[in-house]
Amino acid sequence: MDAGRPIIQVKDLRKSFGLSEVLRGITLDVSPGSVLSIIGASGSGKSTFLRCLNYLERPTSGDIVIDGEAIGPSSAGGRRTSGASPKDIARMRAKLGMVFQQFNLWPHMTVLGNVIEALIQVKRMPRKEAADVGRRFLAKVNLLDKEGAYPAKLSGGQQQRVAIARALAMQPKVMLFDEATSSLDPELTGEVLEVMRDLAREGMTMLVVTHEMGFARDASDRVIFLHEGKIEEDGTAAQVFGAPSSERCQRFISSALG
Amino acid sequence: MFATLHNAFDPGLFWEYRVGLLTGLLRNVIIFAESAALAAALAFVVGAASLSRRAYVRWAAVAYAEFFRNTPEYVLLVWVYFVLPLIIGKVVGTKVNLSPEVAAVLGLGVAYSGFLSETVRAGLRSVAYGQTEAALSLGMSGFTTLRRIVLPQAVRRMLPDTVNQLVSLFKATTIVSLIAVQDIMYQVSMISVAEMRPVPLYTGAALLYCIVIICATQLFQRLTERWRRRGWA
Repeated sequence: MDAGRPIIQVKDLRKSFGLSEVLRGITLDVSPGSVLSIIGASGSGKSTFLRCLNYLERPTSGDIVIDGEAIGPSSAGGRRTSGASPKDIARMRAKLGMVFQQFNLWPHMTVLGNVIEALIQVKRMPRKEAADVGRRFLAKVNLLDKEGAYPAKLSGGQQQRVAIARALAMQPKVMLFDEATSSLDPELTGEVLEVMRDLAREGMTMLVVTHEMGFARDASDRVIFLHEGKIEEDGTAAQVFGAPSSERCQRFISSALG
Repeated sequence: MFATLHNAFDPGLFWEYRVGLLTGLLRNVIIFAESAALAAALAFVVGAASLSRRAYVRWAAVAYAEFFRNTPEYVLLVWVYFVLPLIIGKVVGTKVNLSPEVAAVLGLGVAYSGFLSETVRAGLRSVAYGQTEAALSLGMSGFTTLRRIVLPQAVRRMLPDTVNQLVSLFKATTIVSLIAVQDIMYQVSMISVAEMRPVPLYTGAALLYCIVIICATQLFQRLTERWRRRGWA
């Protein structure tokens, strides 16, 4: 349904922690501009998968190609020496914006300071220019009036929107959301999901690990269901939610929507 | 009896020797500042090393901290002053002398780096790993992350403990008179021998120390308080 090269190509990605293999061979292409939701029970490897994409976890083996650039161990059992240099990894990470469950805003910096820090440190942007860019993205998440506040003064939903602005300000090719609403009170998830829906409408490529079945069903082009480190179900939202072929996926969805 | 006591406390004596005493105090302050700088520098290296991914680096750091934390400052001081030159001399092949001042700074510096490295370690660990992950995920290097994200938070949390350590270090500078550094205690003991009146001089020295430390601590507390007010819940 989408022409052109996939923006993310993953081939046979595996990750073990000690003896337990958390990802058992994930192969996946993501086309630019699409929204992919990743669902599954806790421990199914969703978050680990997302974290492997930007090397917060080092994959044990497998190929990851981001925007045409290969990163990481390319053969099974690849050693560190075959991996990418810290510089390559940092460059690749700058192309992927990540939003965390716990927001992870830096408490010693103002809202604007949080948003522009990487622009200054990584993109070497002059402070003034960075502040202009930062304000543009704060306006996008409707928090321009909070630019001088410290994170501790904000609600959870506001903090998460700042975190989204911080990731967006780097103008990444892909946004990764790792259970971005899971630690929010129910009445605060709406404002964050709204920002995410806006992004999706604007054509941002998004990988969304989520327990929000509503978002997965309505806002994504494609949904995958992970079970024990493997993709068990893969299809459009309508397919996965309407007529999943895997019985396990069916059970998961009916209990999650329940 | 009251008269004897007054006579014994005679602050005039203290005033009379003010130049010698203040020069001595200044020496204490200098030795304090230099050994504090040395201790802090070593503590950062050792504290960071104690959180290294490599086991042997961690072990070396722990061994270092344990050794210096559990050896009395006085023993270290004497060891650095008397033993270290002998060892260096053996290695280099000539006679080496360490000045008492250098030995004092080295001895106190390493002794307190052991304590301070624990503070650094605890401070670094108190910063949640998510803080680092957020920085890395934006493409920051490990060093930039440490410098811009982790250290600023860690240092502020280390501060109260560090102030306590520094107060101890300042008090510990009084033992340098034992290796003949001409600090205030050295001056006091010389003068009181000459005048045969130890009470006013030793009492004066005690008060002087107390005043200096209280002033310094107050200053630090103001500073931390200001940091706390700036968005630190």
